[in-house]
Amino acid sequence: MDYQQNTYSMTSYGAQGGAGGGGFMNTGSQNSPGSGAKQQYGKDTLRPVTIKQILDAQQPHPDAEFKVDGSEITQVTFVGQIRNISTQTTNVTYKLDDGTGTVEVKQWIDSDATSAMDTTDSSKPKLAENAYARVFGRLKAFNNKRHVGAHVIKPINDYNEIQCHLLEATVVHLHFTRGPPQSLNKEGAANGAYGRQDGGAAGGDYGGGPLPNTLSGAARKVYNLLKTAPQTNEGLQAQVIAVQLNMPTADVVKAGDDLVGQGLIYTTVDEHTWAVLDV
Amino acid sequence: MSEATPRITAPYLETFSHQTVRILGKVVQLRGEQATVDAGGQIAVLLNRDSHLTLNHAVEIVGKVQNDLSVKVLASTDFGTNIDFAAVEAVVDATHRYKEIFYGDDS
Repeated sequence: MDYQQNTYSMTSYGAQGGAGGGGFMNTGSQNSPGSGAKQQYGKDTLRPVTIKQILDAQQPHPDAEFKVDGSEITQVTFVGQIRNISTQTTNVTYKLDDGTGTVEVKQWIDSDATSAMDTTDSSKPKLAENAYARVFGRLKAFNNKRHVGAHVIKPINDYNEIQCHLLEATVVHLHFTRGPPQSLNKEGAANGAYGRQDGGAAGGDYGGGPLPNTLSGAARKVYNLLKTAPQTNEGLQAQVIAVQLNMPTADVVKAGDDLVGQGLIYTTVDEHTWAVLDV
Repeated sequence: MSEATPRITAPYLETFSHQTVRILGKVVQLRGEQATVDAGGQIAVLLNRDSHLTLNHAVEIVGKVQNDLSVKVLASTDFGTNIDFAAVEAVVDATHRYKEIFYGDDS
């Protein structure tokens, strides 16, 4: 009611009717936004998984998002061999097997779209029993039975995609359980060599015990530099680190804050100068 | 996990005797009811009537490992000629190294 009194008072001083009205409009428009609940589409991920991971996914409570490796999954994608197709009036149910388990995939029939799809797809390989297919969809639970509601299910043309998918699912699984790879030369990963790094940073990484898996790649780089670079007991300043690592200063500051939060480094002369907390 | 069919290559045969496995290899020899498949080593394969193997093609076999480490085919799928066997070996290695997301811990 305050603004109304203001408006009246302004008009009463004379010849300000238009401006007063404008003021009222502004106040009104400030009140209107902010009430609508935002849907968190930003959290949506598309995660490559194996069928075993789908079957093992945790659901903290009914209607909650499923969790794999402790992180929520929304959209998933996987590759499997079609074991059975059953066409119903409202949906087609495929039973897919990728060697790690079997899961049902339901695709709802869109009566408008199917006729168009059938005509265009006649030349391409079709979804048939024992054929391999890639599925994009969302994990659902219904009557304690899990199925995947498919947005897209399409036949595989290049069988190397099966191998590619399984390796991708492994990489993502390791990313969530052990943190990002600690060096960029991931070619060594084929030999299982996630552990060893090349160059001078390698020694520092394992010198004082392994770093927490949750650290970002930037934080690892900053930590390794702080551990190995020559410095006074004041440590290194964020901008010096940024120059040496060729990283944006903002990223270095964020990485440093993370490391401080983890208790791995501490601030010295100011809040952006750090030294390693060596125990 | 009775439905799981672990992916293996020849060196793993012994570990998986009497189990149903999945092998992706190259057909190197066809002898009527039997065939030889190369997957990290030679594997003798006992065919069934529905399996149509083509020489020099990659084939994926779901089958049961017998006492003599031959594999009795339950199902086979022709994978053509354009298969990267280095990737196949990497998959087998990864699936056994990180079996928690592929096969039950009991296998």
